[in-house]
Amino acid sequence: MWETVAQAVINGLLIGGIYALVSIGVTLIFGVVKIVNFAQGEFVMIGMYISFFLSNQFGIDPLLSLLVSMPVLFVAGVLIQHFLIRRVLGPNDMPQIFLTFALSLLLLNLALMLFTANYRTVHTSYSDEALHFLGLYVPVAKLIAFVVAMALSGALFVFLRTTDLGKAMRAAAQNRDVAMLMGINPDRVFCVALGIALALAGAAGSLLMPFYSAYPFVGQVFVLMAFVAVVLGTLGNVIGALIASLMMGIAESLGIQFVGADSGQIVVFSMLLLTLAFKPTGLGGGRAR
Amino acid sequence: MKKDRHDSVINNAGSNRIVAKQSNRRKFLLRTGGLIAVSALGAVPLRGWAAEPVNIGALYPTTGSMAQIGVGCVAAAKLAVEMVNDAGGIKSLGGAKLNLIISDVQSDTTVTRTETDRLITSNKLSAIHGCYASALTLIASEVAERAKVPLITGSSSDQLNKGRTYTFTPFARASQFARTQLQMAKLVGEQAKVAVIFENTAFGTSTSNGLKELAPGEGVEIVMFEPYSAGFTDASPLINKVKASGANALFSLSYLNDLILIIRTVKQVGLNIAINGGSGGFVIPDFYKNVGQLAEGLQGVAHWNHDVSEEAQRVSAEYKKRTGEFLFEYAGGLVAQTFMLADALERAGSADPQKVRAALSSLDVVKGYAAMAPGGKVKFGPDGKNIYGRPVGVQWQNGDLASVFPKEDARAPLLKL
Repeated sequence: MWETVAQAVINGLLIGGIYALVSIGVTLIFGVVKIVNFAQGEFVMIGMYISFFLSNQFGIDPLLSLLVSMPVLFVAGVLIQHFLIRRVLGPNDMPQIFLTFALSLLLLNLALMLFTANYRTVHTSYSDEALHFLGLYVPVAKLIAFVVAMALSGALFVFLRTTDLGKAMRAAAQNRDVAMLMGINPDRVFCVALGIALALAGAAGSLLMPFYSAYPFVGQVFVLMAFVAVVLGTLGNVIGALIASLMMGIAESLGIQFVGADSGQIVVFSMLLLTLAFKPTGLGGGRAR
Repeated sequence: MKKDRHDSVINNAGSNRIVAKQSNRRKFLLRTGGLIAVSALGAVPLRGWAAEPVNIGALYPTTGSMAQIGVGCVAAAKLAVEMVNDAGGIKSLGGAKLNLIISDVQSDTTVTRTETDRLITSNKLSAIHGCYASALTLIASEVAERAKVPLITGSSSDQLNKGRTYTFTPFARASQFARTQLQMAKLVGEQAKVAVIFENTAFGTSTSNGLKELAPGEGVEIVMFEPYSAGFTDASPLINKVKASGANALFSLSYLNDLILIIRTVKQVGLNIAINGGSGGFVIPDFYKNVGQLAEGLQGVAHWNHDVSEEAQRVSAEYKKRTGEFLFEYAGGLVAQTFMLADALERAGSADPQKVRAALSSLDVVKGYAAMAPGGKVKFGPDGKNIYGRPVGVQWQNGDLASVFPKEDARAPLLKL
């Protein structure tokens, strides 16, 4: 019995690491720029395709292609902020919502046109390998993905705490107007926030590639979980999103194990509604950090 | 502002409402689906000189999540129509050619309803075939039933044979797939202990219920029976459950992406279990491309396979020349269906859909392309089921999908793990 539980927790934790990368991006953008990025999932998809093509054409390991997908998406984030989002930042929410929503539909349909709806997989030497101990197993590809995801989250945390730019971002997240009065250049901060958020989505894509198939709709699978984690962990709270993602991964896994395999989302969304009912600001305590 | 609102209220009022809806839809199509519209127009040839062509509607998901299979189906549908036309068309109609009118149902049930409706109302159709996924076909068949246009389909849901007089299903039903899978499981191991996992849609549910009902009679024990929601991110919890159940055979009724995850996870867990992938995404060439060596020895069940008859092998070879892949289950089945329609049209001597329906209901073929199905015979019962229909057990062997069960249809021996 304990083995089954432990195995379910391991499985949930590992996939939760991927949810975390996506949700941290969403929450970072929301916290700093105050917009909801509906297209975050599509950037995960782009990250996956970058890794797929690098692996397919040049035989580059998907994990190494992290070094390509992250910078490419960082630049994409900066450009999107500079040329698109910056222009619609104002008192009215609707243009912002539609901008990111349009971006999501555009990227999704472009991917359908360019790459077709085929499933693309990359097969690496470690794709089907697993570590076995005490009757439990840990798939190598997922373990690597989890460790890298946690390292990236940690790096982001250190960046936000220790560097001037990071502090400026946190300041902007806490109170944009006061931050501007303190001499923080919001455009620059916003561009970096978008860049980092998209780079994280790209990283999630590359990390997924050794064990998950790429297809145009793949982002939608992950972005739904990411939004739940963002709300659960308090909007704009990076640590909250991280913890909520891991919790959701575990809850989903335990739900599948002990309730039924079609109950994963039931468990996750019940968790969300219960949290909102008793703690409407989310588990993070209602403060953007 | 006020004036605009006033105008829009008038536009939406009363009888104009439908018109407004259509024009919105047209705008939407122009913006998003121009490509599809172009390809659909391209399929209408300019033939004023010969006998009037017979319009056959083809409803397939050529965009959206099932696009890959839908595109393959359309390629096969075109090939089949070409074959009929090259052989002289419908002789009783003065050599009339078949004219394929393709419509994209976008892997979406709502779109399927509107597209089927549009296809029927804006064209004079003699018959329709489609739509791959049972969930989509069920809707198209409802619409066709009301419009009194015959629909012929390879989709396997047993619901397609309930309360319908215009739907024809020339191939094995989901409930029959179950018996074949159980019989195959008995061949592989001694005491068969089966874990059944299935996606909770029409296809998965009807197939799995068939398995559950038949298992005791076939002497197979089902030790786990679990629905899951398609499109999960991680198969590990599910496989964890299979492992805990102590099963020695796994039946997975899934579409492609989920199945790939499941098979990889089984390997990672180090579980030694005979896997039967059922049909759906399992019996298409892309499956082997994605899973590679891991696919070797995996079993499945199909309503059609490219080696079931000499004719099938010939069509498959031609399809391979065009697309680079062997002719997969659903696409091969619809080639046979096109020939069944041609046979019915020939005997009806009319393009009238109700006469075509009557001719289909008295169809009785035992040879030629129309009869290329496991069992080699097609004759419809009152519920539209082929009374000779049976599935064929298949197994991936050296990158090819070989028919291995039952003995009459086997082209290669069933390999044990």
